[in-house]
Amino acid sequence: MRPGTTLAAFAVLSAQLLPGQLGRTGPPSAANPLARDQPAVEAGQKQFQQLCAGCHGRSGQGGQGEGQGPDLMNSWEVRRASDTELMNWIHNGVKGTAMPAFTLASDQIRQLAAFVRSLNAPANSVPVEGSIANGESLFYGKAGCGACHMIRGRGGYLGPDLSNAGLEHRLSELRGAILNPAALSISGYRPILLAGGVRGVVKNESNWSMQVLDETGQIHLLHGEEMKSARLQSGSWMPADYVRRLSPNEIDDIVAFLSRQAVRVEESDRQPQRPPRGEPN
Amino acid sequence: MKIFLLAALLGSAGFGAAQVTDQDLRKGPDENWLTYVGDYAGHRYSPLNQINRSNVARLSPKWVRHIDTQADLETTPLVYRGVMYVTNSNEVYALDAVTGREIWRYAATGVRRRGVNRGAAMLGDSIYFETSDCHLIALRRANGGFLWDRDFAAADRAYSCTGAPLIVKDKVIVGVASSGKACFIAALSTTTGEEIWRFRTVPKPGEPGSDSWGTLPLDWGSAPAWTTGTWDPDLNILYWATGNPWPDFGGDRPGDNLYSDCVLALDPDNGKLKWYFQFVPHDTHDWDANETPVLLNADFGGRARKLLVQANRDGFYYILDRTNGEFLLAEPFVHKLNWARGVDSKGRPIVATNMDPSSGGVRVCPSVHGATNYWAPSLNAALGLLYVVSLEECETYYSSAQKPVPNSGFRGTGHTSIPSEPGEFFLRALDVKTGKLRWEYPMPGPTTMWAGAVATAGGLVFTADDSGDLVALNAETGADLWHFYMGSNLKASPMAFAVNGQEYITIAAGSNIFMFGLPQ
Repeated sequence: MRPGTTLAAFAVLSAQLLPGQLGRTGPPSAANPLARDQPAVEAGQKQFQQLCAGCHGRSGQGGQGEGQGPDLMNSWEVRRASDTELMNWIHNGVKGTAMPAFTLASDQIRQLAAFVRSLNAPANSVPVEGSIANGESLFYGKAGCGACHMIRGRGGYLGPDLSNAGLEHRLSELRGAILNPAALSISGYRPILLAGGVRGVVKNESNWSMQVLDETGQIHLLHGEEMKSARLQSGSWMPADYVRRLSPNEIDDIVAFLSRQAVRVEESDRQPQRPPRGEPN
Repeated sequence: MKIFLLAALLGSAGFGAAQVTDQDLRKGPDENWLTYVGDYAGHRYSPLNQINRSNVARLSPKWVRHIDTQADLETTPLVYRGVMYVTNSNEVYALDAVTGREIWRYAATGVRRRGVNRGAAMLGDSIYFETSDCHLIALRRANGGFLWDRDFAAADRAYSCTGAPLIVKDKVIVGVASSGKACFIAALSTTTGEEIWRFRTVPKPGEPGSDSWGTLPLDWGSAPAWTTGTWDPDLNILYWATGNPWPDFGGDRPGDNLYSDCVLALDPDNGKLKWYFQFVPHDTHDWDANETPVLLNADFGGRARKLLVQANRDGFYYILDRTNGEFLLAEPFVHKLNWARGVDSKGRPIVATNMDPSSGGVRVCPSVHGATNYWAPSLNAALGLLYVVSLEECETYYSSAQKPVPNSGFRGTGHTSIPSEPGEFFLRALDVKTGKLRWEYPMPGPTTMWAGAVATAGGLVFTADDSGDLVALNAETGADLWHFYMGSNLKASPMAFAVNGQEYITIAAGSNIFMFGLPQ
């Protein structure tokens, strides 16, 4: 390793980069044989903590100050890059940026690239630190998530169904939704109180109608004057105090549990195919 | 604290949501429309009469909901208590039926195919639909929450699914299609999706009918089951129709090719075959028998009988005794029918000579689209009329020396239209007891429609025509009373429902759902 690169690793894959700077060579490929290899991802995570976290943050969320490395968890460039490109950036650095070159063994580069790739992968395919079983207990118990969120038919109606959370979201998104729910869009989940104080969420609304799902699973179709019987609420039904109510380990556990909620895992990354020609049925 | 109390209360969700019962499904349409066909007998008839001959001229669109799809929609929406459930390929929408506003949308992930989908099924507080790659998915009806996913074709990529499932008591009945592989009908648990029975539409070696395929391997043959069947709760017989044998236009399969082009009478409790009737033995023209088997009780031959009638893709209207499959009548309902000179006393067609596809081409009527197809028929039992979208068309069928390969898309050769002899669609009102034509409504156009009909107690029959209109006809005479141009090719069938005492008509057109009602 060259001097001065220990903490500068992986610095500044700037969002303003031009494609030419990144040496784009084509669409994503499967050139990294370790891309989905779980032990390799974990080994890459350890290297990342030593080499890259200084600029890109411990979880790859990006550095805080000027000249720090960009967020790798929500990076369009990382998602679009081929494995070959990703490994080249680590090995050669990125011209015109503070991202230096790293002289590492091929396998180490592959492991690092596998970990960076995993940051943008569905939560289900990424190693997690928390206890899944504990997370389930918390979800339906102390944390009360199950009062509003449903998983495979168990739970409440006021929040999004989370049966497929591990495939639809990345780990960072799951964690962020718990720690900072104010940042979540409430489209389809705007809180409302119905007659009798029953809580509901607004699934859709216009000046002439409102479609509300209440906490007992009843759909209320309010048309015209009927809309006056309900009172919109500010904010969200999602509690904003989990960061105080739950310990970091408990949040890890819930994230771990949610990350493993997945439907059709084995086929999730396959693209739909059209049926064979010639069959009208 | 409230949140924690609710957590305990909602341990098994669903309380509060209204439950669709077995009795609701048996009752058939009222203000709700709960199954693809509307009722178990396949009548596709609404008892609503607020929209009738005196006011249908004032029918007007209430809303249009676009669905993001590349293929024309073929779905028949379901409606329960003011909520409309619409399927597209691998997804379900719940809409406010009065406004068209979306309540929820469920999009299946990881699906290996895209195709068309004709509808959903519901029971309790669940809604069921099939993905294009033959998974049955159960959702919570209130919020579209995922319950379970059953890969009932065992991830066999040869199969595709397009039909609406049918709930029979505690089972969900599904069927698969293929381009080569032997197909099947299956019953899955409504609570878990677990497979309870499976009936192969091509027998296994040694089973009855297995000697009807020559040397064709019995893992092939197709005989798809891609539409929804009907059920007689009193006889407890499930009627499910099958499609043509593979290779479609002939090939190495001498024999009757059971159970292709059949209506199968199955015990819904165990999947055992009670009887079958084959409309076209050894079909070489792709005339699937997947049209709806319509059940009614009527006098026939001087005595009351339990009948099954079907206007078949082969051009004949059939009447069977549905208790035992006895053939009673076959009557052509299209003029362009040259492949058979009639049927014998058992209902077996008397096939004309030289009608098999040939290397030089042979003109055969009906065309490969058939005299009718999945285009839903509708029965007004009081008038004794079955409304059938009918196609008068011939085509040239060719054979090929190329060896067909299963699941390759090659069906054993092909067919071409005859430019000098364009097809023409009609809505035909057939006397349900004789098959004789009572009236017909011509539908000029490019012969690209695939729509069906719904009759109502308002003395009307609604259908879509070949020029993109939804039309309302006098059910007794066929007189044109109203039409609305929807600007799309029409491949779905209309239906009627009501919310808060107001009757509405809906149909999928192109990539949109249209809803019509009377002025308030």
